[in-house]
Amino acid sequence: MKINRIFIVLTTAAMLLAGCDKIASDEYVQYDGAVITWSETSGSLEPVQCAYVEKYTGPRCTNCPSADVTLEQAHQQYGDRLVVVSVNYPTGQGVPFPGDPDMRTDGGNAWASYYEINTIPAALLNRNTATMYSGPMNNIIGDIGTALQATPALALQADASASGNEVHVSVSLQLQRDYSSPMTITAALVEDSLVYRQLLPDGSLDEQYAHNHMLRKVVTSFWGRDLPSPAASGSVHVGHFSFGAPEDVNLANSHVVIFVSDKASRRVINCTSAEID
Amino acid sequence: MKTKVILLAAMLMGCFGAARAQGIMGGHVTGNIQLDGQMSREDTVIGADDVPEKLLMNARADILYTNGAFSAGLRFEMYQNPLLGFDPQYKGQGLANYFVAYNGERLSVTAGNFYDQFGSGMILRAYEDRYLGLDNALLGFNIQYRPVNGVVLKALAGKQRIYWGYGDGLVRGIDGEVSLNSVIKALNDSKFRMTLGAGFVSKYEADENIVFPDNPEYRLNLPLNVGAGAVRMDLGYGRWNLQAEYARKGQDPSIMNNYIYRPGEALMLNLTYSQRGFSANVQAKHVDNMSFKTVRSQTGEMLYINYIPAINKQHTYAFLSMYPYATQVAGENGVQADLMYRIKKDTWLGGKYGTDIHLNGSVITGLDTSYIGGAGTDGYTASWTSFGELYYADISLEVARKLSKSVKLTATYAYQLFNPVVEGHASDLYHNHVVVADVSWKINKKHSLRFEGEWMGSDSRYDPAHGHTDRRAGDWIMGLVEWNIGTHWFVSASDQYAYNDGIGNYYNLSVGYTLGASRFQLGYGKQREGLLCIGGVCRQVPASNGLTFSLTTSF
Repeated sequence: MKINRIFIVLTTAAMLLAGCDKIASDEYVQYDGAVITWSETSGSLEPVQCAYVEKYTGPRCTNCPSADVTLEQAHQQYGDRLVVVSVNYPTGQGVPFPGDPDMRTDGGNAWASYYEINTIPAALLNRNTATMYSGPMNNIIGDIGTALQATPALALQADASASGNEVHVSVSLQLQRDYSSPMTITAALVEDSLVYRQLLPDGSLDEQYAHNHMLRKVVTSFWGRDLPSPAASGSVHVGHFSFGAPEDVNLANSHVVIFVSDKASRRVINCTSAEID
Repeated sequence: MKTKVILLAAMLMGCFGAARAQGIMGGHVTGNIQLDGQMSREDTVIGADDVPEKLLMNARADILYTNGAFSAGLRFEMYQNPLLGFDPQYKGQGLANYFVAYNGERLSVTAGNFYDQFGSGMILRAYEDRYLGLDNALLGFNIQYRPVNGVVLKALAGKQRIYWGYGDGLVRGIDGEVSLNSVIKALNDSKFRMTLGAGFVSKYEADENIVFPDNPEYRLNLPLNVGAGAVRMDLGYGRWNLQAEYARKGQDPSIMNNYIYRPGEALMLNLTYSQRGFSANVQAKHVDNMSFKTVRSQTGEMLYINYIPAINKQHTYAFLSMYPYATQVAGENGVQADLMYRIKKDTWLGGKYGTDIHLNGSVITGLDTSYIGGAGTDGYTASWTSFGELYYADISLEVARKLSKSVKLTATYAYQLFNPVVEGHASDLYHNHVVVADVSWKINKKHSLRFEGEWMGSDSRYDPAHGHTDRRAGDWIMGLVEWNIGTHWFVSASDQYAYNDGIGNYYNLSVGYTLGASRFQLGYGKQREGLLCIGGVCRQVPASNGLTFSLTTSF
C-alpha cells in the first residue's frame, strides 16, 4: 500500500499547490498605471514656473509642421521652462501612413476627446481652455512668456533613470503657498527625433520628418493621481514610481514629463521634464 | 513535425527493445483509415459557394501497436483542404496524435496524447469527434492507479490540442472513484449498489492585459489558476438507478462569459427505472456559467476542458434533427422524460409481433438572471427555482410495429419549439410539427428496402427581404428509398423539398459498397446549410452542391 500513499499524497499535494486563485470583488479590476509611493522630508526646492503646451498633431495634417516651427522658436526663447507634449490626433489626419509607426495612445485619445479637439493643429497652454491655439499659432509665444512670469505656487523637480525597459522616476514637490483645492499629478513618456512621414504645408510628403515631443504613453492615470494633500507649504513631498516603456520607444531620446494640475479645473499649475539617464 | 516523428520512432523502438529484452517479441498492429472527399459548385438558391480547389479532402490513419501491457499509437491527419464546415485552420497534414502506454493490472500510464473524462465530463472531458472537427486531446501524462478492485484513481496533466498546435494553458486533474459494492464485503451481493466519485481540475494560463471596458486605465485582475471540482454518485436498488453529479468552477473570466467573475456550477440528475418491456427515465440539469477553457480568449468549440452533456433526445430523422439544440454552457435549465413500453404480442394492440411505444419530452430554458454588470463584475445573479426564456422543447411519440415477418413500420410524431437565440439569432420561437413514417421491407435473404417519408409544418419562413434568412425555414416534405443488395451494396435516393414559406430542393443519391472491413460510398446531391450537433456540441455546416465520397477501412 506504500505506492498508494505516495500516489495519493503526491497528486493531492500537487493539486492543492496548483489549486485555483480567488480574487476579492474589490480587486476584479486594477489600476494599470504607475503607482506613486510618497514620503515627506524637510528641505527646500527652488521654485521655477514652467509652461505646459499640449499640442495636437498628425502626420496627414499639412499645417502641423508650421505649429512645430512656432513651438521650436518658443523653445529657443524659453529653454527648458517650456514643456511640450505632442499628442497624435486619434482619427482623420492623425492616422499614420501605411508602414509608419502609430503614435496614437489611449491617454492622448482620451485627452483629445475631453477637450473636443476637432481640427489640428491645436494646442492648449497649461490646459487653459479659454484659449485654443490653432494654425501656425504664432500668438502662443507671447502667451507662454506671460505664463512663465507667474509666481510659482508649487516647486517641482524630477529625475528619471532606466534599467532595461523599466523607467524609474523620482519626483519632488513643495508648495510655495497654501493651495486649498485638491491637486493631481500626471506623468507622461515623451519621445523626440522620431522619423516618419509627414505632410508639409505645400502638400508634399516629407519622408524623413523628425517628430519631437511625441506622447508615447500616459504612465499615470490619464487625468493624474491625487496628490497627498500638500495643503500647507513647507515640507517636501518625494514620490517614487516605475513603469514599463513600450518596446518600440527609444529611451535615449525620451524624457518624462510631469505636471501638477488643479483637480477640478484640470488646469496645469506647474510642470517639469526629466531626461532619462 | 520532423521532431515528433523521430521522437515517436524512438519511443516505438524503445518499446520493441524492451519487448526483446523481456523475451516477449511479437505484438500486433491494428488500425483504420478514413478518407472523405467533397466537390461542390456554386448554387445561389441554397447559398452554396464555389470551391476554388474543386476537391476538398479530410483523411486520417490511426495505427495502434499492442504488445502485452504495452501499446503505442499514432494518427496521421490530412486536411487538404478541409471539407466545407471544418475550420480552415485545420489546413495541412502531419502527425496529430501519438502516444505510448503501459496498461498493467494496477497501474496504467500514458505518455503523449490521450483522451479521458472525469464523471460525465462536467469538469474534464478530453475527446475527439471527427464529424464535428473537434479534438481536445491532451498532450502530457495520464496515470491511472487501481489499488484494490473497485477503486480507480487518476492523475493527469497536459496541454490541449487546437488544430495543429496546443493551447497555451495547462490542465492538471485528479479523480477518484469507489465502488462500495466492490470495497465493502457486506455489499458484494447486495441489491443496493453505490459508486462515489470526486474530481478536481485546475488550469493555468499566463496573465494578459485585458483592458477594463468601462475605463481603459484599468485592467482585469485575472485568476491565473482556475479550479473546478465535482462530486458524483451512482445509486442503484433493484430496477431503480439514480445518478447525480454536481460541479463547481472557480472564477474564470473569459471571452465566453464576457469576462465576469461569477463562479460556475452545474447539476445533473438522472433517475431510471427499467423492467422487461418498460423503462422510464427522468433527467434534469442546471448549468450556470460553465464554460471552462484552457485559453480565456478562445471562442467557438475548441479548447473546452469540460463538456456539458445534452439531455434532450438526439433525433436521427432528417426533419426531427433539422433544428438541433446546442447546449448553452453559459446557462440553462432542462428536464427530460423518456418512457418506453412494449405492448405484448398476440394482443389486440400489440399485434402478432408486439408493438413498441416510445414517448419522449424535454424542456430547456435559460436562467432567470438579474443583471449586476459587465466585464470586471460578478455579472449577474441567477435563481435555481425559476426559469428564464424558453430555448427548446419537444415531445415525440414513436410507435414501432412489425406488420408481418418481413415488414416493419415505425411512425413518429413530434412537436418542437425552437428558439433561434440559442444559435445567436434573435427571432420568434419556431413551432414545428413533424411526422415520419419509416417502413423496412426485407424482400428476401439478399434484398431489403427501406422507405422513409417525412413532413414538417413550421411557422418559420424564409423571407430575406424581411431579414428571415434561415434556409431551414418553411414547410417541408421528404421521401427516401434505400435498397440493400446482399451484404455488399446499397443504393439510396432522397429528396427534401420546401413546398411552402421555404426555399430549396435537396436531392441526394448515394451508392455504397462494403467488402470485409472496408467501405466505399459515393454520393451526389445538395446539402442544406445548418448545424450538425452531436451530444449538444455543434458545428456550422454550409450549403453544398456536388459530389461526396468516403472510404473507410480497418485492419
